[in-house]
Amino acid sequence: MIPTSYFIVLSALLFVLGIVAFFVKKDLITQFLSIEVMLNAGNLAFIAFAKAHGLIEGQIIVFFIITVAAAEAAVGLAIILLIYKQKKTIKSEDVNLMKG
Amino acid sequence: MNSLYALAPLSIIVLASIIILLLEVFLKKENKNYLGYISVFFLTACFIFCFMSWGKDYSYFNGSLLLDNFALFFFMILTIGTLLIILMSLNYISLMDANHGEFFALLLLALSGMFIMISSTDFLVIFLGLEVLSISSYALAGLKKKDEQSSEASVKYFLLGSFASAFLVFGLAFLFGAFKTTDILGIIDGFNKPTELGLLAIFGLGMVIISFAFKIAFVPFHMWTPDVYQGSPTPVTAFFSVGPKAVGFVVLIRILYPYWHSLFDSNVLFTILWIVSALTMIFGNLIALRQTNVKRILAYSSIAHAGYILVGILAMDNASCVFYLTVYLFMNIGAFTAITAMTKKGKEYVELEDYAGAGFNHPWIGAAFAVFLFSLAGFPPLGGFLAKFYVFAAAVKEGLISLVVIGILASLVSVYYYLRIVVFMYMHRSAGKLDIQQENPALLIVLFLCLYGVLQLGIFPGNILVFIRDAVGSLPF
Repeated sequence: MIPTSYFIVLSALLFVLGIVAFFVKKDLITQFLSIEVMLNAGNLAFIAFAKAHGLIEGQIIVFFIITVAAAEAAVGLAIILLIYKQKKTIKSEDVNLMKG
Repeated sequence: MNSLYALAPLSIIVLASIIILLLEVFLKKENKNYLGYISVFFLTACFIFCFMSWGKDYSYFNGSLLLDNFALFFFMILTIGTLLIILMSLNYISLMDANHGEFFALLLLALSGMFIMISSTDFLVIFLGLEVLSISSYALAGLKKKDEQSSEASVKYFLLGSFASAFLVFGLAFLFGAFKTTDILGIIDGFNKPTELGLLAIFGLGMVIISFAFKIAFVPFHMWTPDVYQGSPTPVTAFFSVGPKAVGFVVLIRILYPYWHSLFDSNVLFTILWIVSALTMIFGNLIALRQTNVKRILAYSSIAHAGYILVGILAMDNASCVFYLTVYLFMNIGAFTAITAMTKKGKEYVELEDYAGAGFNHPWIGAAFAVFLFSLAGFPPLGGFLAKFYVFAAAVKEGLISLVVIGILASLVSVYYYLRIVVFMYMHRSAGKLDIQQENPALLIVLFLCLYGVLQLGIFPGNILVFIRDAVGSLPF
């Protein structure tokens, strides 16, 4: 059986990868995808702990988080589409009307 | 007491938003204001219910939904806040070509999310409430669909808001791994057994606090605030600056309060929060000095105010934090109401130059705006002064002298940019281009109510303080 710590390290790696991608990528959709990666890193950690402790709650929580991520995606993609309609681009450096 | 009544405030608000969404389809365009009156009716009903159930401690779902006095107090002030925001935006929405039904329904849904966060004792439910609040907020920020600034605010809020939510999920997973539960009381019990404190628990708590620092906009997690506040429709900005901030502090009080004696003694968490508080006060006020957009000035001022409230949390005085949040609600909504008033069809006046001579052309709005700015700056006898005084006095009692000195110096700096707006309104000659179409009665009522709140809390705070002591006393620790 694979030890729990492997899963936790994997989920931490995924999370850090998500953070790095969020700051490095210059595209609104890719930034949004990196947030999804971070959320799923959390999901993986939940499942690993649920398995380790023998608690079913952790797995139920994951379903809630997946639902929330879906709701977020629905609103978020609509907003990105709105930006695309107005500016004909989804590069994040072009979304720069306000500064200071 | 286990009772179905505990669900009532939440169901009233959700029901109201569903009714509004349904009616939106059937009402004619000139009758859309009725949606506002309907939401005012439901909000009043919710307020009355909260007032009646004061002290009854209704709970449901095995206590994971708990209406203690602390929750009820915030239910009431947030209901008042939302009511004021709906009243002030009745005319604004049609001037900005936005959609009445969407606005009111999303605002009420956001309020229901805040209710869930305030009254829950389980972190998973707090997370779900936070998402109900956040997702409605992203849509609210982009409500002016033809305005590029509004969409930009919306996308920025969406990206950084969900970034913060991911931190919350990850931290929560680690807390779950450390303590085998997501219940706040269970987590607190875990923290009070110092032998079990592993890296997992500390890391998880840190992540959770970071995500709430994003929502409250502490420095260095504040970078989204000015852009979002500037781009959003003004009443929505008023809502953002008051609602999520208050709720974030409620959750912080609920999770940090019990750790104070175990974790605060170890000084690590304390030192970090100390530094964050000092940075928030200094940066918020200094960057506000060189802004020329009034909404942006108030955005930086709201960052600074979060720093003052954090001083109260560090001083372990919940009552002064709650009082500060109450006063802040009235004075900030008041100030944003005055900005909302400076509007004509399709255009908002938000630059400092636009306000030249406004004090003489629009005496009522100008005078009220000046009072709110004085209160934000902390002049006696207004509410803002007493709020700062209580927070700083509590901090001095706990021996946080250097933090209080930083706070007082920072609020001295803040006087400059608040008074700059007043100087523009009363001492600069009017350029004659301020033709606003907003002198409607609902807006004047809101200005008057906020003015009353600021003066009442500044001169006779006694009644409210009794309420607040009662509320804070009901915290379960």
